[in-house]
Amino acid sequence: MTTLKLWAVQFLNARPLYAPLETMKPVGDDGEPLFEIHEALPSACAAALESGEADLALLPVGAYAQMPELEVVPELAIAARGAVETVVVIGHCPLEEATEILLDGASRTSVALLKVLLHAKGLSPALTPTPHGEGAPAVTGTTCALVIGDAAFGLGEQFPHVTDLSSAWFQLTGLPMVFAFWAAKPGVLTDAHVKALQAAKVRGLKFAEQHAQTYRRSVLAEGREALSTNAYANYLRKTIRFDFDSYEREGLVEFLTRAHACGAVTIPGLAEGDTVHVHFKGARYEVAEQARASTQPLNVETILAKGATGERLSFAEGLYLYDNADLFALGEAADARRQALHPEGVVTYIIDRNVNYTNVCTARCQFCNFYRPPGKEGGYVLSREVLAQKFRETEALGGVQILLQGGLNPELGIEWYEDFFRWTKANFDLRMHALSPTEIIHIAHLEDLPVREVLTRLRTAGLDSLPGGGAEMLHDDIRNRISPFKNSTDEWIEVMKVAHELGIKTTCTMVFGFQETAEHALVHMDRLRETQDLALSRGVDGTLPQGRFTAFIVWPFQAAGTSLRLRDDTSAWRYLRMQALARLYLDNIPNIQVSWPTLGPEIGEVALRFGANDFGSVMIEENVVSQAGAHFMLTAEQIEHHIRHAGFTPSRRNMQYDRLSA
Amino acid sequence: MTVSKADRQRFSTITSKVRDRVPLDLEDGVFLYHYPDLLALGSLANEVREDRHGDKTFFNINFHINPTNVCVANCRFCSFARLEPGMPNAYTMSLEEIRGKLVERKDQPVTEIHIVSGLHHDQPFEWYLDTLRVLKKEKPSIHLKAFTAVEIHYFSEKYGMTYAEVLKALMEAGLGSMPGGGAEIFHPRARKKLCDDKATAEQWLEVHRTAHNLGLRTNCTMLYGTIETIEERVDHMLRLRALQDETGGFQTFIPLAFHPDGNAMAKLPGPTGVDDLRTYAVGRLMMNNIDHIKAYWVMIGIKTAQIAQSFGVDDIDGTVQEEKIYHMAGADTPQALTRNNLVRLIREAGRTAVERDTLYNVLWEDDGEKLPGTRVEHASMPFSSHKLPVLQ
Repeated sequence: MTTLKLWAVQFLNARPLYAPLETMKPVGDDGEPLFEIHEALPSACAAALESGEADLALLPVGAYAQMPELEVVPELAIAARGAVETVVVIGHCPLEEATEILLDGASRTSVALLKVLLHAKGLSPALTPTPHGEGAPAVTGTTCALVIGDAAFGLGEQFPHVTDLSSAWFQLTGLPMVFAFWAAKPGVLTDAHVKALQAAKVRGLKFAEQHAQTYRRSVLAEGREALSTNAYANYLRKTIRFDFDSYEREGLVEFLTRAHACGAVTIPGLAEGDTVHVHFKGARYEVAEQARASTQPLNVETILAKGATGERLSFAEGLYLYDNADLFALGEAADARRQALHPEGVVTYIIDRNVNYTNVCTARCQFCNFYRPPGKEGGYVLSREVLAQKFRETEALGGVQILLQGGLNPELGIEWYEDFFRWTKANFDLRMHALSPTEIIHIAHLEDLPVREVLTRLRTAGLDSLPGGGAEMLHDDIRNRISPFKNSTDEWIEVMKVAHELGIKTTCTMVFGFQETAEHALVHMDRLRETQDLALSRGVDGTLPQGRFTAFIVWPFQAAGTSLRLRDDTSAWRYLRMQALARLYLDNIPNIQVSWPTLGPEIGEVALRFGANDFGSVMIEENVVSQAGAHFMLTAEQIEHHIRHAGFTPSRRNMQYDRLSA
Repeated sequence: MTVSKADRQRFSTITSKVRDRVPLDLEDGVFLYHYPDLLALGSLANEVREDRHGDKTFFNINFHINPTNVCVANCRFCSFARLEPGMPNAYTMSLEEIRGKLVERKDQPVTEIHIVSGLHHDQPFEWYLDTLRVLKKEKPSIHLKAFTAVEIHYFSEKYGMTYAEVLKALMEAGLGSMPGGGAEIFHPRARKKLCDDKATAEQWLEVHRTAHNLGLRTNCTMLYGTIETIEERVDHMLRLRALQDETGGFQTFIPLAFHPDGNAMAKLPGPTGVDDLRTYAVGRLMMNNIDHIKAYWVMIGIKTAQIAQSFGVDDIDGTVQEEKIYHMAGADTPQALTRNNLVRLIREAGRTAVERDTLYNVLWEDDGEKLPGTRVEHASMPFSSHKLPVLQ
């Protein structure tokens, strides 16, 4: 275990992140300390990382932009959702009227933020570097000053005009502002380091009062005026956000994108049209590590025989099948398992309509062809009239459900969804299979509400079940690469767990083809299986609990036209293998749906012999994968034709997998 | 899927026959076609395929020229032929246009040109000979795989020559081998309904017999998914097998999936994925004397073609640079696969791609090296025939 040279900023808002390390003194397996701590100014932290003097530092975002190859510690940041109090422009006139702004010893980050905001407002006052501490006294007329850090505390009362830049950023984008985070030289971080840093934060916040008091004393000792201990503690507890979840990630990429676009920072190697990429340190998965360490001899036939009878496969066995089982052997075992679970020879399908209510999205996933960033041309939110027409058509075609999914639109609050569900339930006889975990998390962030409350309110308004979209590959190594600004694996799983607890049925999905390994795919399946175990454990006296996964759907990534520069290494062959493996590994999920919209109905038919028992949806409308090159449309008659051709009896169903009379 | 014990036993008997290299009969073929366990069927076909070719999947870099679509025949399954010159979209290429097709690709590593036409009313025989000559002159190393048995039969009738005379003249002009088209379905019941006015089964087979006797290698095909019965499909395979026993001149059997758009049979649903795979597998098992089974990806789609490699197929029709017949019938597949994409498709299914020439001489074998810049740009499958009412 290496001792990392850690450089931290002395500001008040950084203390909860690193000060506990001084008392906790975490050590590695070998008894060596994990960290050797240095305190410095933000600019010095950045310079130390750059020169190699530091292994790990609390890095301001402005400095990070110059070193995008660094690895970012997940879940920890210094950020604010709205006002931050310590990055302000003060003056005798409003910011809009300023002719000159003195940059009071300001950091690259605050200057970049100021430039982004000025650019957005179409302002161009002169920006004059000024030594630290000389800015505020020189404010006069239309000359304002940018003051940052602890020096900004309490300035609000001394000047008639104070613009909190973080607040202005939030007004502009609806997103949090990330100021700094832990960044390390690539490859030096271990799981122990990450865990120790995360533990330090938890402890640091617990002792916010002490940090506040220590800080207050140091200010008084320097003969300066200080705020109350309570004010400083509130600053740490409420103003600053030390979490770094997907909402902050969105804010971060929005900031870097805008700052690069207006020249406030230059991100090396970022070509026109590229998206900003942040390398997060991936989480470790114990189950995978144990499997790797396992020396148990394995045999394909034995594992397949186990799987075919529904016996639980270990992670190592799943991996072994992925790597070694023959296509037919895998298919035969999956088919036997499907036959045992669904002995009547029936393959179900549903008539529903996929409605994408908005394409405005802040997540910027590299694999998506559908979204438009907020404020860009081509964004839409469907009107009630359009929705009503789509719903009426769906009913007329015998549809029983709307699969409602959309972008992460910062304009749509929870009330929009509540009104929408109530309106739907009042006017239509359609079930609402609506909002993937990604959208639920987005609404929770937007409203600053717990996921549980969001789900409870939406269900009360009329949401019936949750589709399992947004899972892609539930492994942070992959997610950090392809969709770093979207929910993490844990966040996704958490929504599903809460939904199940509340008695909401959900489905789950997997998209492969992101150059993942067998281990990534198995971690994905393992997380789903574990989540379903938990849901099923709530069943009383052998009955199934309401809240659970009803079905699993896997499909290959559709690369064409997306900005993800992956060669398309997905294929029908891998799809059949992956689905068959899922049928065996996901022993507690009853239904597997083929994904004919991405593979075509021919492979859909064949897939019914590789573990699937459902042909999915007639899919009256679909906009997302069709933007990435898949164009298939089927009528109920055609779906039934394909099901019969594969040797099964077709039957219509609803989302609960209850059979319906046609 | 429930398989009765009797059926399992029967399948096991057939398995033994296959392993002992005993030819399967009509009943066996029909049984296999209906056998519910698709994977067991595929697995058996795969055994034969791997026995013959191991992990090799062949491909060939060629392109197609269809010199005219004017045609006296009126096949109900065809969307390509325009019956009279001057009808909308009817065309006949000049020799200069034909030469131009090759000149366009002069720098490409194409080893074969596949030439198939309509049965034109009044082009002189010389025009066909010149077609071959002009291409050979442009690129002497090129292999010309040209004229189906139906065309040869038509030439023989129209110009009053025997099959052998027609073939000899064409060989002198540069003909290297013959494609297997025009076989459709041999059984008279189905053939009468499908294509009453072109070469009969006997005539088709006789042309190939003659070609084989003259030393030409040829391919053979079967059009499936129209109005034929399963018995008629197996019967078709058996007739081909019988000729092969006699001459040994067929290189490859190519099942052709019917495409229902833009022709007189557009109401039929067309074959589906499982049907395609069954046909390849049964074909592999019935044709114990034909070396190769080829999937023509333009018709069944890239994805099914990839899976077909596990159902008896050892050859995927190559980088088709230009293809008209199937695209007029609504095939929604890319017009051409690049060489790298094809290699990847094969590699991902756990096979070794082998580039061959027309006569299956090995030109290149995949060594697993990284393939740069490859991506299937538009990997959808042919399904434009099934359109949904448009809701706006």
